[in-house]
Amino acid sequence: MLGCERASLAYTDGERTTYALRDVTVTLAPGRFYGIMGPSGSGKSSLLYVLSGLKPPTEGSARFGGFVYNQHSSADVTRLRREKFGFVFQQPFLMSYLTVAENVVLAAPQVDRAARDKAARFLDDLGLSDMIHKFPSQLSGGEKQRVSVARAMMNDPEVIFADEPTASLDHANGHRVVDTLAAWRTRGTVVVVTHDPEMLADADEVLLLRDGVLVESRPPESLPSEPKALHRTGTVAPI
Amino acid sequence: MHHPLSAITYFRRNPGKVLPMGFVIVLSVFLIASISSLANSIDRTILTIYGYTNYFTYVIPQRVTQRVPEEQLAVIRDDARVERVMEASLFFTNIKTVMGQLPFVVLGLEPEDRAYLTGRIGTSLLSGRMPAEGMPEAVLSEALARNKNVKIGDVIAGPTDEGGIAGSPVPVRCVGILKGTVWIAMTTKSFCDATFLTAPRSTVFTTRNRADLTAVNEDLMPARRRTQGKLSPSKVLVLSRQNLINQVRDSLSTLFLIMGFVNGTVIFVIALMSGMLSNIYFTQRMAEFAVLAAIGYQRTRLVTRIVGETFLLTCIGWAIGALVTFLFLSAFRTTLFEPKGLFVDPLDPFAYRYTIPIPFSITLFAVATIALRLMRLDPVTIIERR
Repeated sequence: MLGCERASLAYTDGERTTYALRDVTVTLAPGRFYGIMGPSGSGKSSLLYVLSGLKPPTEGSARFGGFVYNQHSSADVTRLRREKFGFVFQQPFLMSYLTVAENVVLAAPQVDRAARDKAARFLDDLGLSDMIHKFPSQLSGGEKQRVSVARAMMNDPEVIFADEPTASLDHANGHRVVDTLAAWRTRGTVVVVTHDPEMLADADEVLLLRDGVLVESRPPESLPSEPKALHRTGTVAPI
Repeated sequence: MHHPLSAITYFRRNPGKVLPMGFVIVLSVFLIASISSLANSIDRTILTIYGYTNYFTYVIPQRVTQRVPEEQLAVIRDDARVERVMEASLFFTNIKTVMGQLPFVVLGLEPEDRAYLTGRIGTSLLSGRMPAEGMPEAVLSEALARNKNVKIGDVIAGPTDEGGIAGSPVPVRCVGILKGTVWIAMTTKSFCDATFLTAPRSTVFTTRNRADLTAVNEDLMPARRRTQGKLSPSKVLVLSRQNLINQVRDSLSTLFLIMGFVNGTVIFVIALMSGMLSNIYFTQRMAEFAVLAAIGYQRTRLVTRIVGETFLLTCIGWAIGALVTFLFLSAFRTTLFEPKGLFVDPLDPFAYRYTIPIPFSITLFAVATIALRLMRLDPVTIIERR
C-alpha cells in the first residue's frame, strides 16, 4: 500500500512559510488507477512528489508498504524509486543524444539484451516500433511522451506516477497516453495528476485537492466533464 | 554493447561539446610537452656535441705552462686503467647551436694517434682523405659537417671567423668526412704546432676499458671537487664528461625551475578554464541529471559518470596531445632542429612527465565543482522549472 499520513510540505522564504501540502492522509491500494485533481497551486504535484519519495514531507510521513521514507536514507529512497516506481512528467525529458530505444532502456535495472528486447516490445505496443532508432528531435510531442511512458514501464514498476502527462499533448495523444497508463493497473498502481477530468474517466478514484488540502475523493463518474464545471460545484476553487 | 549512459556514447553523439574541450587539452599537452622537450634538448644538445668525452678525456695545462707538467702526466700514465696518453695541439671552429655559435675543438694529432683515436671512436673515412702533414687541412665527422654545412674543399676555419676563440690565421679546408654520429674534427699536430705557436698543448688519454673512463676521471680530478684528486687543479684542468654534465645542468637548473613554474601555471590555468567549460556543459545537461536522479539513479552513480566522462576525455586528449607532440618533434627534428644544432628527442620522457598532471588536475577541478552541485541537486526544482 502506498500512502502518506498527516503529510505536509512547506516552503520557507525568510519568515514566510507557504504550505504546498497540508496535513494530507491518504492510502492508495494496489492495482488501481488514481487521479489527482485540483486547480493550479492546489498541491497535486506536491502530493505526487511526497508519495513517490521525490520530496520528503516537512511534517508527517509517506510510505510504500512497510518502507517509511523518512526512516531510510536518501540513497535507499532513490533505490526504491528505481526498483518499484516509474515516472512520467509533464515534459518527456528524453535525452537528446540517445535513440528512442536507448532512452527507454536506461530505466531498466540491468541494461542487457533482454532489456533491449523488452524496450522494443513496449515501444511496439505503443505504436513506436518504427521509431526505435530515431532520436527525440525526430519525434512529435505525442510520440516523445509515449516514449517516456515506455521508459516508466521498463522496470516493471509497482507504481507509476504521472505528473500532468497530457498537459502538452493534443486530445487524441493525451487519451492514448492515459489509456496506456490506465492499462498498467493490472500490474500495479497508477497515479495520474491532471487538470482535465476527461482524462480520468477511466480512473478508479479521484483525489481532489484545494490549497494543499485533500478535500475529498470521488469516483470519476461524479466529476463534471469540464474543469470549469468542477469549480462551479464548489468542490474545487476556481482556477 | 555500450550502456546508453557510457562516456563513449556521449562523446560520439556530442562532438560539439566534446571536441572544444578535447582540443584545449590536446593543445595544452602539446604546448607543455614541446616546450619541455625543447628546453631539455639544450642538455641533450651539449651532450651530443661533446659526445667524444665518452671515449677520451682532455687534460689542459693551467695558464702558467704551455704543456701539462711532466709530473702530472706521470700520474695519468701510472694509472693501470689508462691505455694511451697522447699530446694534442688544437684550434677551434665555430658550430651552430641553439645557444648561438660555440667553439668546437679541432684536434691536432700525430698520425698514429689519429689512427688510434678514430679506431677508438669507431669511425673511419666516409669520403675524401686524411689531412696531409703540416697542411691546413682537417677531417670532420658527418654530423659536424652537416651542422657547419660544409663539404670537402670548403673552409672550416679561417682569418674571418666571427668572434670567440675560433679561427685560424690560414684558411683550413675540409679534406675528408668521417662516418658515424660522434662529433669529431681532426687535423695534424704538425700544422697546429706551426700555426698556433702560443696555444697550449693538451693531453688526451683513453682507458683500456671505456667503462673505466668515468672512474679514472674522478680519481684524477673529482668533477665536483669535493675531494682532492691525484692531479693538481692549480696545474691542470680535466675536461671530463662529468664536468661537462655538471656545468650544463648547473647552468640549466634555473631554466628548469622557471619552466616548472611556467608549466605549473599553465596547467593551473588550463584546469581552471576546462573546469569552467565543464561546468557550462554540465549546466546545459542539468535536466538530464535531474531526470536520472528522479527515476532512481544514485547521486554517487551520477558523480562517477561525470568523473568517468571527464577523466576519459582528458586521457584521450592527453594521448592525442602526446601523439601530436611526437609527430611534430619527429617531423621537424631532422629538417628544422638538428641543422640549427638542437637535438630533440621526440620520445623524451622528461617532457611527457610534465604533462601527466594535466588530466588529473582538469578532472579534479571539474569534478570538485560539479560533484558538489550534483550532490545538492533537487530533481523536482529542475523538472518543475521546465
